Amino acid sequence: MDVFVFKIVPFFTILIFILGISYRFYTWKKTPQPGAMTLFPVPHESTSLSIIKEVVFFPSLFRSDKTLWGFSWIFHAALALIFIGHVRVFTDFPALWKALSIDADVMSAVSGGIVGIIIMIAAILLLFRRFGSKRVREISGFPDYFALLLILAIVVTGNLMRFGEHFDLQITREYFSQLFTLSFAGMEIPQNPTFRLHFLLAQLLIIYIPFSKMLHFGGIFFTQTLIKRT
Amino acid sequence: MGNKDKVTGEGLRKSVIDSIKAIDKGPKVLKLYMDMCARCGTCAEVCPVYYGEPTELRNPVVRSDLIRSVFKKHSTISGKILGALAGAKDFDGDLQKFVDAFYECTGCRRCATFCPFGIDNSVITRKGRAIADSLGYTPETMKNVVKTSLETCNTDGASPEAFKAAIDFLEEEMKDEHGIDIKIPVDVVGTDYFYVPPSGDVLVNPEATTGIAKVFYVLGMQDKWTMSSKCFDGANYGLFTGNDADMKADNKPYVDEAKRLGVKYMFMGECGHAYRIMKMMMEKGKWWGELPFKVINCMEWTADRIKEGKLQFDKSKNPMPVTYHDPCNFGRSCGIVEAPRIILKASCQDFREMYPNRGENWCCGGGGGLSAMDDIREFRMKVSSVKKMEQISDTGAEYLATACSNCKRQFMQLIETHNAAFAIGGVHDMLSRAILINGKAAERVDWEAGG
Repeated sequence: MDVFVFKIVPFFTILIFILGISYRFYTWKKTPQPGAMTLFPVPHESTSLSIIKEVVFFPSLFRSDKTLWGFSWIFHAALALIFIGHVRVFTDFPALWKALSIDADVMSAVSGGIVGIIIMIAAILLLFRRFGSKRVREISGFPDYFALLLILAIVVTGNLMRFGEHFDLQITREYFSQLFTLSFAGMEIPQNPTFRLHFLLAQLLIIYIPFSKMLHFGGIFFTQTLIKRT
Repeated sequence: MGNKDKVTGEGLRKSVIDSIKAIDKGPKVLKLYMDMCARCGTCAEVCPVYYGEPTELRNPVVRSDLIRSVFKKHSTISGKILGALAGAKDFDGDLQKFVDAFYECTGCRRCATFCPFGIDNSVITRKGRAIADSLGYTPETMKNVVKTSLETCNTDGASPEAFKAAIDFLEEEMKDEHGIDIKIPVDVVGTDYFYVPPSGDVLVNPEATTGIAKVFYVLGMQDKWTMSSKCFDGANYGLFTGNDADMKADNKPYVDEAKRLGVKYMFMGECGHAYRIMKMMMEKGKWWGELPFKVINCMEWTADRIKEGKLQFDKSKNPMPVTYHDPCNFGRSCGIVEAPRIILKASCQDFREMYPNRGENWCCGGGGGLSAMDDIREFRMKVSSVKKMEQISDTGAEYLATACSNCKRQFMQLIETHNAAFAIGGVHDMLSRAILINGKAAERVDWEAGG
């Protein structure tokens, strides 16, 4: 069982994610669009620059709902930082840390710890907003709660590894490096239950993305192009 | 036009589901909107209808879900496998619910302006209306407007004789105002500009048309423009019933007439959706191939002449506070927002903005063709227009200028229903009252405000 779940499944996860997302992007790209959908005023800068601004800062949302903008911008910014931070789970850059004279473990403990708490609070606020506000409650269904709870569960298990009893990052790093290099012989599967749960939930999220509303992370480029180009 | 008789039963169910499944083939915009909503509720926050009375079905996401959940059920892997857990739901056979819901959306596109993804619920609304139309469920009031327009080339069903009589009347009025003959040329072949107003600007609020005539006169271009006794109404309700074939059939006579008249410019009047169809859809989409003329708008044209210093005004003729309502189709959909302000500021003493404005303006509550539907007048007066009336009242304006016959009709009824203390009219109307011809503005001021 362990062999199947921790040696085989991760490859299926990646495969489903890549195929799913590619299929979505492909169908969006090839579907014809007769006529312009331009929404005025059109941005002064180029269409692509304005879309990048939209993706990075959510200015449309800022103009309409500052509370939601605050919750969701912090939430997404934290997600992005966490995504970047996880690179260190798979590999490390000792030369870089040395050149910058940074103690990587301290840096990741402090910044990772802070971001982990922030995203947990943001996710809880977004969850409360889902049933606290009438207009959001009436459009919230199972997929909406599921997405938030899933992310929250991943965040909580992640935080437990950081703030709970000692967690040895070196073991997971070796596990992933063996996984990526397909060195199955002699691979040691991490036994830490919190890590195992965190890892499985994260894979569930990755598989879920191409088939759910979480596609919006890629679709936004398509929809914004439609209304911003002249 | 869509089906004459309502389709019912299994045939109805199958047709609705097939039309929704067809979204998979496009247009791209609609397909993306089926997959993309993050369900954050921002659209409800900025929607004039939901603001007026927030019932569940008026929440833009709930309304759009009428189609989106059926699409998920039949055209997505997750919906097929997980069903309701993926937000999928089969069509329940109640098409009247579609009609009621989608004819409560004004198609103003304000949601798209504020949605973080730019999702334009009006596109889904139009799809919902198109399905209803193909099965004979378009509300009778709307059906009749389309039918009249396809038969007579104008939404009022006015004959060329009635049109000419109205033009004669306008020429007499201008003679009374200025003591000179200011012509409105009709059916003249070989001029430069073919003026296409909404028929309301000839038959109901005609001051906009006299304003145009005076501008041409002052510029010494009396013989450079013409109207058509056959095609004098740019309004096109095919946009509002969702029926593309009707929209094109309604459009074609105008393009043919412009070619017959041999003009260089199709000179669109103060009608937002007419200009949007001509400029953004017909011309850009090359419905009829390459055209021998260009589509332009009267407000931008006049504003340019004002900027060139070619027109002079006596602002004291318009002393009252004036504000401008950006029609959604001119503002958000065509980007014409500065030109009307240039004209109003040039011809009025006290121009005031309402807030927000331009691309963020609130809909009058009669958009998407709803203004023509007296069967939902109560809804338009008490729900969809609540925010708009607050906005206007905050300005203290006594005259509300707007460049759209549908908005004007909505405002006329709002003024009557709520005993509002402002008059409604067009942009060139203000110009018409203040423009100097041989150094003098119009003498008569007994035009009934609002026509």
